[in-house]
Amino acid sequence: MKRVLANKKAIALFVLPAFVIYTVFVMLPVVWSLYYSLYSGSPGLDWEFVGIDNYISLFSDKNFLRALTVNCKYIIVVTTGQVGLGLVLALMFKFWLKRCKTIIRTLVFFPVVLPTVAVGQLFSKIYEIQPNYGLLNSFLDSIGLSNLVQPWIGQESTALWALCVMDIWVAMGFYSVIYYGALLDIPDDVIEAAKIDGCSGWSLFRRILLPLLRPIVITCLVFSFSGTVKMFESALALTNGGPGGATKSLSMYMYDVSFTYNKVGYGSVIAIVIFLICVGGSMLINRFDVKE
Amino acid sequence: MKRKALAALLAGIMAASMLAGCGSNKEASSGSDTKTENTDTAGSTDDVDFSGEDPQLEKKIKILTIWAEDNDNGIILNKICEDYKNNVNPNFDWEYEMVSSDNLQQKIATLTASNDLPDIFAYEAGAPLKKLIDADKLVNISEELEKIGVMDKLDESAVTLMKGLSGTDDLYDLPLGLNVEGFWYNKALFEQAGCEVPATWDEFEEVLEKLSAAGIQPITTGGADKWPATRLINAYAVRTMGNDVMTKTANGELDYTDEGLVAAADKISEWAEKGYFGEGVTTVDTGTADTMLTTGKAAILYTGSWYTQVLTDESQNPAGEDGIGFFNIPVADESVSSATSYSMNCGNILALDKSKYDEGTAWFLKYFCENIGNVAMEELGSIKGYTYDVSVDDMDPYTKLVLDELDKATEGFAWWEAKMDSETSKVAQDNVQTLLNGDMTGEEYMQSIQDVYDMNSK
Repeated sequence: MKRVLANKKAIALFVLPAFVIYTVFVMLPVVWSLYYSLYSGSPGLDWEFVGIDNYISLFSDKNFLRALTVNCKYIIVVTTGQVGLGLVLALMFKFWLKRCKTIIRTLVFFPVVLPTVAVGQLFSKIYEIQPNYGLLNSFLDSIGLSNLVQPWIGQESTALWALCVMDIWVAMGFYSVIYYGALLDIPDDVIEAAKIDGCSGWSLFRRILLPLLRPIVITCLVFSFSGTVKMFESALALTNGGPGGATKSLSMYMYDVSFTYNKVGYGSVIAIVIFLICVGGSMLINRFDVKE
Repeated sequence: MKRKALAALLAGIMAASMLAGCGSNKEASSGSDTKTENTDTAGSTDDVDFSGEDPQLEKKIKILTIWAEDNDNGIILNKICEDYKNNVNPNFDWEYEMVSSDNLQQKIATLTASNDLPDIFAYEAGAPLKKLIDADKLVNISEELEKIGVMDKLDESAVTLMKGLSGTDDLYDLPLGLNVEGFWYNKALFEQAGCEVPATWDEFEEVLEKLSAAGIQPITTGGADKWPATRLINAYAVRTMGNDVMTKTANGELDYTDEGLVAAADKISEWAEKGYFGEGVTTVDTGTADTMLTTGKAAILYTGSWYTQVLTDESQNPAGEDGIGFFNIPVADESVSSATSYSMNCGNILALDKSKYDEGTAWFLKYFCENIGNVAMEELGSIKGYTYDVSVDDMDPYTKLVLDELDKATEGFAWWEAKMDSETSKVAQDNVQTLLNGDMTGEEYMQSIQDVYDMNSK
């Protein structure tokens, strides 16, 4: 094996096919977008070279700035929620739950396997207000909090948060399972030794578990971040970007611009922005990794 | 040694699969080459005499629509193709493809760009169609139908409507519906609140107030789907400013921020504020709104005559054969917009790709225009904008009601977004939710439309 891996030709032979495919399907479209972003209209229909005009109009485009804000809020809340609650759930599995562990783990993981559209339908029924109260509103109504009954996904003030709750609920099970696996990998004698040294509760978590879990936390953050930057299908299924543009993400706006407004050039500029956010965000998260 | 062999094998497989990938790519691209070649030969039906028997040419057409084969117009289109193959031309064949209506414009834009439009496809009348007409992608329907001799099979008012929508002298699309829109109301709820059918706008507002006071939700609209809500703004705008108000704004003769239009937007916002639509109107979709009227959860619904499909279905209409009534948009000022002018449209229309059009398609087109009127009546009981000879006595009361209204119509006007380009129309629809929620005033709403209009007309 060593001999094969020492041979540069052999390495090239193994790497090249994947590298070519990656270049064709990932790198090339990015470069293509760069080229498209210099044109107006869509290919075949009013396709004209406009230079950097598309980039300039980006900064004065209120809808773009709004989608960017919505997307950023969503990334922060959902990533924190998914990764944070996933960790809490995993700690619960490991230290508090004594009975029914497997059942609860299965239940928590269950939403992960549901199709997004089904989850969207489910939650739109939960948040429903007309013609009948959904689960949430009828619950509030029955415990005497009828002043809190409201169109959760029908008003700008709550729609995005309602969406965040849904997406955290869907994915936290996935992260909890990853964390749980990592927690099981931490040898019991380490935890025992810490306890003997008088470390418990918060300090056990802060000084022993968290440092040991750090690589996993970073992996989870990258997963969750790249998932939330793409924010599309869940918002489409639950609110269709509405009301107004309250839950319209960058990808949804890009889709509208490219395919509904037939401005593929301008859409490509937005795609590049999303690409840059992805690269920047991942780099930021990875910086935590190299400190030690 | 074994490992080396394995490595070589794996690498070989990889390389082979890549080659295979390239190979299929090549095939695909050569396929599209032949298609572009077709472009030059197609489209010449000048010397053909269409009065005689169908020559049974070998022809395969591709149809792209937004209806499933067992639903709505899908039933009709497939029935006609089947009949044509079985009764007239055994050498005919067809391929039926469906996309969701949300993706239709995008799909057509992509196919246009790659010069690969299907022979016949469903599309949206108004600004989207105009774009394809301007790009010279579509068959001139009036020219062809004259040649084939079936122009008289099309309903005249449908033709006028469609020409008006594309703003052309010739016709470039085929109707797939002849709809009137207006207010449908639940008779039992009207009786309960002691309301009469309103004739003027003031009376209409009184009715809404009376219903509300009686503890009945006066009106519902599919705010989640957006377009039903903008129709309400349109209703008031047209009645107070004239049938051609939205044409004027599209041409730039009138600003979207005009006082009258702002007042129309404010009107809807005011209704929402008064709670006429109930809570959370932006979460109600069209289907829910449709059944809210029939089940007596709301008293009035604005929608088009396609609603008869719900009304004639007993499982969806507990109100029964005589439970739901219809009235045209009440008049504000008879001299501005008359009581016999209706919001009318031809639904989603069919267009034909110019480059693929040939004699074979023309013969099919002839059969299509001659038979669709009857097929639609028999299969769905609906009017599609073609002549038919089914007797009125056999119709259900709701279809008859629509026919009566169509007979009364002397003038038609289009919907709110008909003349807007796709971006303006999207903004007008997205923001109507904000308007209904009270997060935007009528003026801000109209300004947002004007902004996009200004940006795109630069």
